[in-house]
Amino acid sequence: MSTASPASPASGPVNAPQPAFPTEDSGASRRRLPGDLAVWFFILAELLAFAVFFLSYAFARARDVALFNASQLTLDLNAGAINTLLLVTSSWFVVRAIQAVKRDDKAGGVRWLAAAMLGGFGFLVVKVFEYAAKFDAGITLSTNTFYMFYISLTFFHFMHVILGLVILGVLLANTWRGAYGRDAYHVLESGGAYWHMVDLLWIILFPLVYVMR
Amino acid sequence: MQYKSQAVATPYFIAAIGLFAGQILFGIVLGLQYVLGDFLFPAIPFNIARMVHTNLLIVWLLFGFMGAAYYMIPEESETELFSPKLAIALFWIFLVAGALTIVGYLAVPYATLAQLTGNDLLATMGREFLEQPLPTKLGIVVVALAFLFNITMTVLKGRKTSISIVMLLGLWGLAVFFLFSFYNPANIVLDKFFWWWVVHLWVEGVWELILGAMLSFVLIKVTGVDREVIEKWLYVIVTMTLISGIIGTGHHFYWIGAPEYWQWWGSIFSALEPIPFFALTVFAFNMVNRRRREHPNKAAVLWALGTGVMSFLGAGVWGFLHTLAPVNYYTHGTQITAAHGHMAFYGAYVMVVLTMISYAMPILRGRAANSNKAQVLEMWSFWLMTVAMVFITLFLTAAGILQVWLQRVSESPLPFMVAQDQISLFYWLREGSGVVFLIGLLCYIASFFVRGEEKTA
Amino acid sequence: MSGAFSKSMARNIFFGGTAFFFFLFLALTFDTIQQYPKRDMRQNITPQVAAGKHIWETRNCVGCHTLMGEGAYFAPELANVVARLGSKEAVKAFIQSRPVEGIPGRRSMPQFNLTEEELDAIAAFLEHVNTINDANWPPNVQG
Repeated sequence: MSTASPASPASGPVNAPQPAFPTEDSGASRRRLPGDLAVWFFILAELLAFAVFFLSYAFARARDVALFNASQLTLDLNAGAINTLLLVTSSWFVVRAIQAVKRDDKAGGVRWLAAAMLGGFGFLVVKVFEYAAKFDAGITLSTNTFYMFYISLTFFHFMHVILGLVILGVLLANTWRGAYGRDAYHVLESGGAYWHMVDLLWIILFPLVYVMR
Repeated sequence: MQYKSQAVATPYFIAAIGLFAGQILFGIVLGLQYVLGDFLFPAIPFNIARMVHTNLLIVWLLFGFMGAAYYMIPEESETELFSPKLAIALFWIFLVAGALTIVGYLAVPYATLAQLTGNDLLATMGREFLEQPLPTKLGIVVVALAFLFNITMTVLKGRKTSISIVMLLGLWGLAVFFLFSFYNPANIVLDKFFWWWVVHLWVEGVWELILGAMLSFVLIKVTGVDREVIEKWLYVIVTMTLISGIIGTGHHFYWIGAPEYWQWWGSIFSALEPIPFFALTVFAFNMVNRRRREHPNKAAVLWALGTGVMSFLGAGVWGFLHTLAPVNYYTHGTQITAAHGHMAFYGAYVMVVLTMISYAMPILRGRAANSNKAQVLEMWSFWLMTVAMVFITLFLTAAGILQVWLQRVSESPLPFMVAQDQISLFYWLREGSGVVFLIGLLCYIASFFVRGEEKTA
Repeated sequence: MSGAFSKSMARNIFFGGTAFFFFLFLALTFDTIQQYPKRDMRQNITPQVAAGKHIWETRNCVGCHTLMGEGAYFAPELANVVARLGSKEAVKAFIQSRPVEGIPGRRSMPQFNLTEEELDAIAAFLEHVNTINDANWPPNVQG
């Protein structure tokens, strides 16, 4: 899958002269997997679940394009766009947090993580307003196939944002305690990778469900 | 054996095998009733025999799990069992309660049994797999709680390994989800929905934790591979199991009155369910290939590998075969389901319990492994039972495909019984395979009595 | 690719992932329960229907039959039996007429000696089940 490295390119294009990866053992120019392999198994499993979900959406849509197009018009594009912006920015904040911690800049790490969490919370708030409008209109999982997918996919993702925020919260607390630094950013990277996945999924979900016609 | 108190596992394993034999005998009766409808009628009608068959399966697997826990937990915790006396007392209580229940099924009409045992106070009986009278159900809860207390206290006072944690979580989950068997509303739709909280969340949820823990324990022992390696893979596999399996419960909600979105949720997540089983197979083979020692108990290694392969085939492949809603619309409640059920239960749970027994029994009897002669016979029993089960599954699958075609798909659908008559050939073949399975089981039991030069540790 | 693979991370993911999916399952369960009044025809569950379910259970009907596809596969599906046989009366007559000693060489249903009241109850229960919205299952009247 082309999504194998949402984390690594993010840490690549830093314009600071320092190498993107610690290259103490640069003799063997092996590529290092950021974060824990266990988290990558989990990310892969999650991506697979979403992939099957997206494919099911495409399949169901192909069988009733008219219904999907008509129902899609009722979605709030602005809310979706704002949320995209919030998550992408939040993801970038996490990158900055990891870079700060790699410089042993604890305060910077805490600040950037807090900013990232703010973005995540912002996403949740916007989403709650969006849901409230839909539920007020009497829309449920059983309204029609489009809304079934709309609510299922966005709610499944919504819960991932919550889980991601819990993870960021733990990372923030640990950074605050000084648990991470130049030689110990392994867990931070693992959590960051998860947050990038949450972001990435939204970047696929938003155009697929809200925009594409 | 490293700890004296591990010996309490012995009666549990013996009872498990005894009840297993009973289960298979009733299986043979059921198979015969499929083709000779009046066999043993009206003395033992099909529903009674089936109840005995399935309840014995559950009870002997529980004996197996408990025996396994009593064997594993002291060794994992590096301490004696909290209370061996309690373990022995619980064994007798559970065995007597189980035996009385089976006698009750066979001796009096089910409606009378219900009346005698207070089903009118709290109606819980007469639902598939949960047919046990109220006192038995309460007994199961009491035994389970006392057992869990014993095991948990042992873990708490000793070393806490990942295998112990996963095993404990599985056993606690087993007890907790069993509580839903006491919920039986007059609304059949609600009844069915929460019935699956017992049945599915057992076999495709918490039991798989038990399975993973048991298999990992045996693999560490017979391969000598680093515990650290095995335990982290155990975590990865059980994570996959639960993230696919919990929402995968949805594949039971398609046609029982639940909202129709379950057709999507259930299909999507149960499509992922084969992955953890595949991982389990790869895991077992990998660990055996990376073994650091040649364990004298070759039979146990064979069972362990067999568990991986057969659980993948039975639960993974045969499950996937009919799990997608559009397919399941036609296959639901046919012999296809029976085919999957047989191979999945055998491949996952029967085999993992036999793996544990195969590994632990020789040690409990004071040797590292059985004599070569005994092991050869045990391996024969492995192949006889496993191949017989493959054929049972294939014949039931063929019967199921024909049944779906004749009864549900063709231009002029046939009534149920007419369709059944058309496929009786496959039921005969299945019965033949069942007899081979029984022969395999007899070889298995005989292997315990074969002497010869035994290997000391 | 080199990289760490630690047991503590695998364990945390196991607990976190399990909790996550269990919460998701609870959320879907909550929605399901909300939707049930629209599908399960609970307004028709009279005391007689409830008594019929009790007969269904205490005679262990599910040991041979399926109901909405769940049960044993030895005897016909019963969720739509009222539709298949045409009426509640036909269902009652069938249950009532089972020979005590069975039918030689064939599968047969036991004679349960139900009273008239019990027969009415089980028939009412089966009629109720036939009205539940089960997504158009079974595919045809043969079950």
